[in-house]
Amino acid sequence: MSGPAELGRLADEAVAEAAAAPDEAALEAIRVRYLGRKEGALTAAAKRITTLPPAERPAYGAALNAAKQRVEAVLTARAKALRDAALLRELTPQGEDLTLPPRPIRLGRLHPISQTIREITRIFTMLGFEAVEGPEVEWDYYNFEALNIPRDHPARDKFNTLWLSNPRGDDPDRPMLLRTHTSPMQIRIMEQRPPPVRVLVPGRCYRYEATDATHESVFFQYEGLAIDEKITLADLKGVLYSFARQLFGGERKVRFRPDYFPFTEPSAEIAFDCFVCEGRDPRCKTCGGSGWIEAAGCGMVHPEALRRVGYDPARYQGFAWGGGVERLAMLLTGTPDIRLFHQNDLRYLESL
Amino acid sequence: MQIRVPLSWLREYVDIDVSVDELARLLHMSGTEVDHVERRAWERIWVGRVTKLERHPNADRLTLATVEYGAGRANTVVTGATNLSVGAIVPYAEVGAELIDGGTGDRFRLEPKKVRGIASAGMVCSEKELGLGEDHEGILVLESTLPVGAALADAVGDPILYLELQPNRPDCLGIVGIAREVAALLGHQLRDPATDPLPRAAPRGLDVRIEDAQACPRFAAALLRDVRIAPSPQWLQGRLVAAGMRPIDNVVDITNYVMLELGQPLHAYDHHQVRGGTLVARAARRGETLRTLDQIDRVLPEGALVIADIERSLGLAGILGGEDSEIRSDTTTLALECASFEPRGIGRTATRLGLHGSSGSAAARRFAWELSPDLVPMALARAVRLLREHAGAQVVGVVDRYPSPRSPINVRLRFSDITRVLGMEVMPDETLDVLQRLHFRVAVDGDTLVATPPAIRTDVAIPEDVIEEVARIVGYERLPTRIPDGPLPLHERHPLEEFRERARDVLVGQGLQETVSYALIDPAWLTLLTAEGAPLAPEPLRVTNPTTVTQSVARPTLRASLLDTARRNVRHRESVAIFEIAPVYFPRARDLPEERWIIGVLLAGRAEPLTWLTQPRDFDLYDLQGILEALHRATRFGGRGESIAGGQPGLHPGRSWGTMDKGRVAVVAGQLDPRVAERWDVPEMTFVAEIDLALLYEASQTAQAAVPPRFPPALRDLAVVVDERVAYGDVAREIQATAKELLESLVLLDLYRGPQVGAGKKSFAVRLILRASAGTLSDADVDRVLGRVEGRLGSRLGATLRG
Repeated sequence: MSGPAELGRLADEAVAEAAAAPDEAALEAIRVRYLGRKEGALTAAAKRITTLPPAERPAYGAALNAAKQRVEAVLTARAKALRDAALLRELTPQGEDLTLPPRPIRLGRLHPISQTIREITRIFTMLGFEAVEGPEVEWDYYNFEALNIPRDHPARDKFNTLWLSNPRGDDPDRPMLLRTHTSPMQIRIMEQRPPPVRVLVPGRCYRYEATDATHESVFFQYEGLAIDEKITLADLKGVLYSFARQLFGGERKVRFRPDYFPFTEPSAEIAFDCFVCEGRDPRCKTCGGSGWIEAAGCGMVHPEALRRVGYDPARYQGFAWGGGVERLAMLLTGTPDIRLFHQNDLRYLESL
Repeated sequence: MQIRVPLSWLREYVDIDVSVDELARLLHMSGTEVDHVERRAWERIWVGRVTKLERHPNADRLTLATVEYGAGRANTVVTGATNLSVGAIVPYAEVGAELIDGGTGDRFRLEPKKVRGIASAGMVCSEKELGLGEDHEGILVLESTLPVGAALADAVGDPILYLELQPNRPDCLGIVGIAREVAALLGHQLRDPATDPLPRAAPRGLDVRIEDAQACPRFAAALLRDVRIAPSPQWLQGRLVAAGMRPIDNVVDITNYVMLELGQPLHAYDHHQVRGGTLVARAARRGETLRTLDQIDRVLPEGALVIADIERSLGLAGILGGEDSEIRSDTTTLALECASFEPRGIGRTATRLGLHGSSGSAAARRFAWELSPDLVPMALARAVRLLREHAGAQVVGVVDRYPSPRSPINVRLRFSDITRVLGMEVMPDETLDVLQRLHFRVAVDGDTLVATPPAIRTDVAIPEDVIEEVARIVGYERLPTRIPDGPLPLHERHPLEEFRERARDVLVGQGLQETVSYALIDPAWLTLLTAEGAPLAPEPLRVTNPTTVTQSVARPTLRASLLDTARRNVRHRESVAIFEIAPVYFPRARDLPEERWIIGVLLAGRAEPLTWLTQPRDFDLYDLQGILEALHRATRFGGRGESIAGGQPGLHPGRSWGTMDKGRVAVVAGQLDPRVAERWDVPEMTFVAEIDLALLYEASQTAQAAVPPRFPPALRDLAVVVDERVAYGDVAREIQATAKELLESLVLLDLYRGPQVGAGKKSFAVRLILRASAGTLSDADVDRVLGRVEGRLGSRLGATLRG
């Protein structure tokens, strides 16, 4: 009972036993039986090498190594297989109910007006406009006079104004008011900086207005102003169309038509098709049956306004627009009534 | 301003060969806003002819009328009307038609019914029942030439365009002005209304005088005799009704008709009441009174323009006539005024007298816009003609004072200016064609265009005005969409606004819902914020003309708005966790107010709900502190400000705190005073914080990268026993001051009161995490530090360490 053939048989036996070992303990017993330091069969076979004639020893040694390696490899592989199987058994579902409700969370949200202003700002910033803000309480001068709307001008009828009284004293020559639009910032910006100018002005505005589903006395606007040497009405149309496209992703139709504002010439209005009735309901409360929702008044800044702030109208020209934030928020969120924005019913706010 | 334009009236001046919808679109897209087109629905209503009339067998006052309304279609209806005759052409409504109740004015659907035992199959209709006017006396008898059996809407239905005009286009106030636009859009000719030539001679017995040529640049008047006051003809009355005015008598109707037609108001006086035969345009004298046509005795505003005779004022110029000189049924001689007034003065006076706006004076609304003085002779000539035709009037003479005639404005521009402004080229030929269609006179000199607007246009003065005319007729649809090019304007940073948005994100991240509330609030709210009613904030700016008292002051604090929002939400939910970031308004002398941005936070009700995983828990002070901590950590608060001693106004005296920085309040926070909570119907445990955004920003530090430490930390837990009066903050401060930079963090693990420490004492179990940047701390190092901590806590706070 000696020789390489015998070693091979021994290894075959060990491999067969290892493959059949049912668990790691059995496998360990097999390892001890064949490779154990004291009574391992292959260990014992190794000791016999000294009894062999020197000429047979290299062949026997080689066969012995091969046998040991085979057995070790199989033992390792089998051990890994048994461990994997055990782990898998452990991870197999054992009645864990994954449909139970999660730990309660409290999710904060921005108000839809803030969300919309951010979206507006993001888009116009990409188009090269810098967001700036200005005072809500204004002088008559900036809100009206500097925008070609002198006292008793019929255009003031469009801007029903809330006038303010200062407990620290009123100045009859300088009436104070709540700005009716963000346009006074056109003047303030141009007074502060030389051209070229490209700014976006979001902010709160106020009107003396009876509130209904589409009118609020306190509301937000976003004003735009771009002044340079070669800015045209087509640039205005392009900027606003690009804005509409980015905001609505091409789902809304856009319309650009002439309008009138004392501080722009030519003037225009941009409108989107009605998201409620899509132009099909002549009694639609949201669009008044016209099928269109006016989104912004705009135009080329009037040369007189440029002259007043010290810009040379022979050299500089540009456009301005002013639009309602709530209108866009209504379009974007399907909010049917503008009053919901200021009511702050958390059931409404949490839906957006 | 809204005007109504009946399509049939418009057709009198221009051919319209497009549908009414297309016409509306063309007008709208060229700048004349079409609010809507009113159409007569009139379904199941037909042109009928009365073929038989019989007495109702059971009622003397009722008639059975048989009406034929097309071949083989006839029905018998019961009617109370007495103005029917066999052969009369009348509107006949079938069962199912929608009509207006002659009594109540409500819409109703016609149903089959029996009247005194006889079935009435439909109805013959009055003017009022059809919505055509106010007359409900009898059945509307139609033109005898109308085709029997035709739908009434096709035979007499007339769409009405409701136009919203802008004050730069007073020329469009008249239907002829709209026709001029339509003619330009469709490329058709305008037909001016027929006029009588005005006699050049001034009449004997009537003169006009202008005392203030600035307020009244042109003043004309005609003297007319042999006037017979009577109702105006049906067609004229019909047009007034369609345009929204009430017929009165032929003279008043004709002045109104000409106003609607041309936009120029006129005023007729009974000539016998004009003392001295002279009409004077002058300023009202101090204390002067007038009983106006609306039967109100008015004290005239001093300086307001009046039309007077040589003795007393007869009317408010351009606004409202006086009762004295109004046309009466026996008036035979008229002084017909047609004048031009300075618009701002008219607007100012009308506003002062409450005659401004859509419910005020129709004349004032028009005169407040800059009507062309060239309308004066046109309107006068038109009125003279209509008065001759419909009131038998003979013109005696006309006087027309126009001391400084307006000279035509020649606007010079280069064709290239059109491209420069529009960003699109319009060829010179097309430009000239458009302007000529708009009745501009044009002259071309090389590249230069000289455009002279028609006299009725007062809005065209500069090249941009002319360019807009070209663009709007060519159509804004044709404008390309471009993106501005040119040098890049370098943007400024806006750190405060950027910081504000970061604060919003932090608070949203803390699970708070942002709110946006009215910046105008009820002044009464400001007295409800403290238990004693003392104000929290400076006296606010007041709205002098508020829409409602509940929005009549500019809020000087966010707290009232937060409480109002909470109050309205706790009615239907158990948890309110909100914030708002908005300016409050602090008045300043001789200046605009300071708009100070405040972060307001409010917590009330449930912090955690009852679920299978959580026990219900209400918000407490430490939730609020956690939110402030988050705000501080996220904005890298540098720890500035001095704390304000004692409780904060309006908050719980023992559970509120505040800090000052740079002489103003930086933070106020804590539990709401329970008495205030009760007043606002919010839970007793309501917590609020108000943080000055700018101060928080100034106290924030720029980010400084921290490299992860290389050496391990040492953790030690201590139980610090102190007297009840010692605050945790004192303990933490002393530990910090002793361990200095070795102290990486300090955690309060437990707060214990009880037998193990004895009465009047408490124990803070704290964990110190110590770490050195230069090497691993040995046990000896740590013990040395802890020894010093123990010593300091003992000497400063009388603390002992529990084993």
